[in-house]
Amino acid sequence: MLQKKICLLGAFGVGKTSLTRRFVDSIFSDAYLTTVGVKIDKKSVPVGDQTVSLLIWDIAGEDDVSAVRTSYLRGAAGYLLVVDVTRAQTLDVAQSIRERVAREIGDIPFLCLLNKTDVVEWDIPTGRIDELQAAGWNVLHTSAKTGAGVESAFSDLAQRISK
Amino acid sequence: MQELPQLVADSLLRLVDMQRFAAHLVIDEAQVLVRSGGHLDHYGLAELEIGATATEQLPFMEGMLPLVETPFLIRSLEMPSGRVADVHFFADDDVVWVVLLDMTAEHDETQKMQQKAYDMTLLSEREAKLIAALEAANAELVRAHRELAESREELLVTHNRLQQELYEAERYVRASLPEPMSKPFAVDWLFVPTTELGGDSFGYHWLDESHFAFYLLDVCGHGIGSALLSVAAHETLRSQALPGIDFHDPAAVLGALNQAYQMDRHNDLFFTIWYGVFELESRNLHYASAGHPAPIIVTAAGSAAVEARELPAKGPALGMLPLARYQSQTCVLPLSMQLFLFSDGTFEIGRPDGSMLEYEAFQQALCRLAGDRSAPLEDLLAFVRRTHGQDTLEDDFSIVRLEF
Repeated sequence: MLQKKICLLGAFGVGKTSLTRRFVDSIFSDAYLTTVGVKIDKKSVPVGDQTVSLLIWDIAGEDDVSAVRTSYLRGAAGYLLVVDVTRAQTLDVAQSIRERVAREIGDIPFLCLLNKTDVVEWDIPTGRIDELQAAGWNVLHTSAKTGAGVESAFSDLAQRISK
Repeated sequence: MQELPQLVADSLLRLVDMQRFAAHLVIDEAQVLVRSGGHLDHYGLAELEIGATATEQLPFMEGMLPLVETPFLIRSLEMPSGRVADVHFFADDDVVWVVLLDMTAEHDETQKMQQKAYDMTLLSEREAKLIAALEAANAELVRAHRELAESREELLVTHNRLQQELYEAERYVRASLPEPMSKPFAVDWLFVPTTELGGDSFGYHWLDESHFAFYLLDVCGHGIGSALLSVAAHETLRSQALPGIDFHDPAAVLGALNQAYQMDRHNDLFFTIWYGVFELESRNLHYASAGHPAPIIVTAAGSAAVEARELPAKGPALGMLPLARYQSQTCVLPLSMQLFLFSDGTFEIGRPDGSMLEYEAFQQALCRLAGDRSAPLEDLLAFVRRTHGQDTLEDDFSIVRLEF
């Protein structure tokens, strides 16, 4: 079976672990539990006529004092860049991580997930999202709480890294 | 470590091994697990198969080999047993050593502190957002309040201007009313519009040396529109501005007024009027009415008693029917009498309990007024206000008293 390493990156509290739990175990908890270090999960997804085993690295979020270690992406086939739509500054963090990964690891496939879209009040102007899309970012909407867009986001990345 | 005696160095290694549950894996260039040791069961890795591919047994090895940098560390990696280990990678000739050291206690402590710090940060962010929203709402309220105050100021200015204009209009209307007179007979009146401008108007003047005309009209509604029509009609009568009309003939006057003031040309307003001409020598009174309440004559009957009678006449209100015809009536006025000419607002008075003042009670009030020749018309107004239960009446109060 084809095995691929992918990483979830983003600022702290954007919902990386919740997205993984939703995708791997189909569960969600409203209680926020911060991630320290790395958790690795595994789930197989069909891609075309084959099955790809995704090794999902849920990496601790970036904050003001500790940056994401891009060296953890070594050997990763792609990554999900997660943004919390209710906190505009998490998009700044995502952009910063994206630049560092491109510089230090190279251009590997990634998707930007606008998470928590079940919340009505967005903090991110649509103009900024339009700019990212114009710059070539693939932006998807997800909600770990409702499950909306989660399965398709992981499948989309699996497709891209299996080409 | 090289400076340390072997005994100390060995003791330290044993300490680390004991406290950190050290375990190791050795992987060759073909990514095959060639050797393992230490506390592998502590991490849930006791079942590893020597000679099998490392990446198939150890997910964290996927993509790690060949090592790009050495030593290399993955901090706080959750292992299959649930323990958390720091995973150290060391390249040694043609193999890679992977050493696991238990960091569960440090991980849990760090997680507690980080959890608090992140919770505080998220709370602060939410507070900042809330404060920003409150400040924005407050700024909006301040702006709205300022606009409201400005609007209120403008409204106040407009209101004051309109009040002033209404006041001036009322003064103009009052100035158009005749002065009370005492010779050769007494005439006085009382006019209390329900708003600044009412729809009532009245007048009297000599047509010649022996003919005295008097009238009272009541335009439907109140306010500026009604007052304008009332003043216009009053002015028409006062200046006898109906070409070809004999103002001695009440029916002719009302007919001509009806033609001049059709409601389709006067903002759908119509009015009632009573118009009379008194002949001084014969004491004949010629009169006609256009839907107006009949005046009341109060005469002395005997030494103290008084009696009241109406001066009825028929005719539709002015302005409603272009072809309306009016008829003059004539009567001879007895000596020592008082004639009261008034609008319906003088006697159609509602009581607080919803009932209406009886017309007989109104006539009796007029009789009492006539019985005491020195009584002012204000006495009648006071009676009406007492009946109504408040000073502000629902319609214009207009009454003219003539003592022929």
